[in-house]
Amino acid sequence: MHGLIISALLFLVGQTSARVLSNKYDADRHILLSQEAELFLGSGVKLTEDEAKANDILMHWKNKEVDEAFANPEHYNFSKHFFAYRNDVSKSKVYQIIKKMPKGAALHVHASMMLDVDSLLRLTYEDHLYACYGDGDLQLRFADTVPAQLCPFEWNLLSDLRNASGDVAAFDTELRKHLTLYTDDEDFQNSDINTTWERFEKVYITVAGILKYRPVREKFIYESLKNFYDDNVMYVEIRSGLHELHELDGTVHDRMYFATLYERVTEQFMQDYPDFIGIKLILTSSRSKSPEMVRQRIELGRRLKKENPEFFAGFDLVGQEDRGRPLSEFLPLLMEAKEDMDFYFHGGETNWFGTATDENMVDAVLLGTKRIGHAYALMKHPMVLAKVREKDIALEVNVISNVVLSLVRDVRNHPLASYLAFGLPVVLSSDDPGAWEADPMSHDFYVAFVGVASRQADLRLLKQLAYNSIKYSALDNKGKIRLFNVFVRRWEEFVKDVIANDSLEV
Amino acid sequence: MWTTILCLSIVLFSVVSQDVYNNVVKERNDILHRELDMMLGNDIELCDSEMKANDIIMDLKRQEIEGGFLEPQAFNLSKHFFEYKDVVKESQLFKLIQKMPKGAILHAHDTGLLSPDYVLNVTYLPDLHVCFEENDIRLLFSTNTPDETCETQWQLMKDARYSSGNVERFDSELRKYFSIVIDNPSEVHTDVNSVWLKFQQYFITTGAMFGYKPVWEQYFYDTLKACRDDNVMYIEIRSVLPELYDLDGNVYDSVETAVSYKETLDRFMSDYPDFYGAKLIYAPLRMVDAKTVKQYIEIAKEIKRKLPDFFAGFDLVGQEDKGSPTKDFLAELVEARWELDYFFHAGETNWYGTSSDENLIDAIVLGSRRIGHAFALTKHPLLIDEIVKRDIAIEVNVVSNAVLKLVEDVRNHPLASFLAQDLPVVLSSDDPGVWEAEPLSHDFYVAFVGVASKHADLRMLKKLALNSLYYSTIKDKDKIAHDFEIRWTKFIDSVVRGNVFY
Ligand SMILES: [Zn+2]
Ligand SMILES: [Zn+2]
Repeated sequence: MHGLIISALLFLVGQTSARVLSNKYDADRHILLSQEAELFLGSGVKLTEDEAKANDILMHWKNKEVDEAFANPEHYNFSKHFFAYRNDVSKSKVYQIIKKMPKGAALHVHASMMLDVDSLLRLTYEDHLYACYGDGDLQLRFADTVPAQLCPFEWNLLSDLRNASGDVAAFDTELRKHLTLYTDDEDFQNSDINTTWERFEKVYITVAGILKYRPVREKFIYESLKNFYDDNVMYVEIRSGLHELHELDGTVHDRMYFATLYERVTEQFMQDYPDFIGIKLILTSSRSKSPEMVRQRIELGRRLKKENPEFFAGFDLVGQEDRGRPLSEFLPLLMEAKEDMDFYFHGGETNWFGTATDENMVDAVLLGTKRIGHAYALMKHPMVLAKVREKDIALEVNVISNVVLSLVRDVRNHPLASYLAFGLPVVLSSDDPGAWEADPMSHDFYVAFVGVASRQADLRLLKQLAYNSIKYSALDNKGKIRLFNVFVRRWEEFVKDVIANDSLEV
Repeated sequence: MWTTILCLSIVLFSVVSQDVYNNVVKERNDILHRELDMMLGNDIELCDSEMKANDIIMDLKRQEIEGGFLEPQAFNLSKHFFEYKDVVKESQLFKLIQKMPKGAILHAHDTGLLSPDYVLNVTYLPDLHVCFEENDIRLLFSTNTPDETCETQWQLMKDARYSSGNVERFDSELRKYFSIVIDNPSEVHTDVNSVWLKFQQYFITTGAMFGYKPVWEQYFYDTLKACRDDNVMYIEIRSVLPELYDLDGNVYDSVETAVSYKETLDRFMSDYPDFYGAKLIYAPLRMVDAKTVKQYIEIAKEIKRKLPDFFAGFDLVGQEDKGSPTKDFLAELVEARWELDYFFHAGETNWYGTSSDENLIDAIVLGSRRIGHAFALTKHPLLIDEIVKRDIAIEVNVVSNAVLKLVEDVRNHPLASFLAQDLPVVLSSDDPGVWEAEPLSHDFYVAFVGVASKHADLRMLKKLALNSLYYSTIKDKDKIAHDFEIRWTKFIDSVVRGNVFY
């Protein structure tokens, strides 16, 4: 149809005088632009009168930010590493609005990296935590006596080390570095993908040591949910491998126990915060494990699904994709499991093209994955893109994660821009926000909205992204309606608040 | 042939039946094959010797990519161009691509094509005067001390050089004005404006020196020579067509400058009859008002009248984010579009929804024959459709986009998705001399190894070369295609025999 308009336009251009022509041309240029705007994600959302008012406020601040940066790119944050501008974000009015905005669901987060680092640091004040400082590494473990695990130097009670240090603040600052990737060090910000992932995995190992202790894991889950709830997220699908948990005396609980713990804590949380509607679990296995070990994990998935069908959402494989095994190596057992459970595969979290990693997206789609984690390489794969549209497979996009984990620097080059332009089924998420000191969701929404999306993208995009997170969740219809109702109520409050907020006045 | 296509013989240890499994594997391979069949180059059929050459090329390519895949810190092409531009010259694949006939350069700016060493040599010519100012130098040919103001004083370059006490150091300091290559680009070229400032400074500094008619003509002659040496057979060159001068006080206007190009071309062609030729795209600066654009258009029309076979068309140049958007000149450009062919720069930006981004729409609707860069195109689904429908070629300059700060890791360059969708792409190099690249070989190498699919092979390379002929403004395409085929066959032969590396 737009082709016709252009042809008609060209025909007309041949006939009349230049001034009239360029008026006509101007008008039709406008039509072409607005047709493109109609394809854009969120263009179908109709704003109420109040929403339109809130949108004017939002867009005033957004345009101000974008136009200032357009004129002065040297001050533009989003072309830099996230760590270079993280602390400036809170000054942005757009961010302040987004922070308060109800965001629906978080559909791509990993269990151990959900909590902010300060809360994590507080958990290291719990009694009986032993530390083993190695060559730049740190292992932590709760135990009533010196842990049996190997330590290249020696295990000490962290509380002893802390007290003996003479300067608790300095001690904690050092300790904190083991719990987060966040750093001012520009060399790290510029390091290659393997170096970044190696550091990421180190942080994971340190954090995971604390979280094996049942009482601390319990607090961790509760506080993580509180973090997301405070960031106006009402439902979370958590990816976890469900490791074993232990008590102080060494008693070990199996993985099924971990699942029930999740349910118990969530129930408690929902009693305390009734408009949080719950969590589901996406069971994961590391993709570098052998097929036999993956098979066992899938078996666990089957049991979970049987015993807690409400709680169990599906299965995924995790870990650095370029270095792990491709999905195709697990094809027979995944095809078998496909009959019993839903998949939510990571796929194409890479900037390689034509390698096993980006071809994972083909397998994910053929295995009937409900959503794809990242799908960063999608624009290079027209056939997979067609399948994504045809089967309405949601793309779980985590922009900040892709920056921190060395796929892209300037987020304006993030493929999300194209996904939005094509109106693909996108949900935004945050992957491991605790690991890089991002908000549970607000930073990701903010960066996507101001840094990646079109200058013209407005409140309709934000609302559609929240809608999508409900639509593409693993909730059944009843659950979706419940979540939707909470969302709608909170959204109305949010819109009123934006209009009434003096500090946002234009 | 494709390593990632699964074979059907994987041993099953599950209850999934062999049939079901085979079907999925078949479907998987189907999708991958169909995607490969969609890629640019899919319509090229390789003959036997080409297939042999392809095996050699793909072995080299696989080694480079698989090395990078396993050890990303060692992968050159995800680093800054300045870090690897010399290192890659040692690559066998690079040497091979250098020898490969690449067809035409369709997007390059006339005074940005030759290396800083070449420009440094120009400063050895007699009658060149220099004025050292605070952060800059000014250069001018003149028999006597120039009348132009100078913050310090004009002196003969020769005198300045030999009184400096250290000619080598003098020259290496001087050379810095002729290149934007530095050791620490990530610290100095921190954003698109800072690198563009440096980039534009090169053209300002060299402008008056190149405007000396004998130098102007020699530079163009040597540009043609450099292209020929890089196995390019034809070029469409963009020029702002400045006024030229000589030592007798004559001044030559834009039209005369175009004529001097044509005469130089004729001289070159009689020296090197195997070169196919050159055409001119008049591409003055975009940071002007509509009245000036109207004057530009008049100049373009006059050149077209005078040199109908040499003149290819019209464009506007300069940093798009900062310059006037094309839509400011719509009235003028709409009126002239029956008389002039357009080759607009458009969408050379990573902004989205801004005026520079929307230049893409204007370029298309104004009937641009080709579009320079179109970096922002992947964000515009409707415009992609239009480009395909109207068969508008995209002139992609990967190295330029990396150096001028649009993209860091070239694997994120939108060219990857252009190639995957088989959009009408031609590769070019923009201003290779300014960043010390070869006229076209670096751009081909980076696109082939760093941007395109690991599976993209000789068919893509050949198609890119053929595209550059097909989307040129050459009238007799059959003849040039025939000439190309002869060179190509010789190249393939040398690859198969292993002579290409020597
Ligand atoms: Zn993830
Ligand atoms: Zn250019």
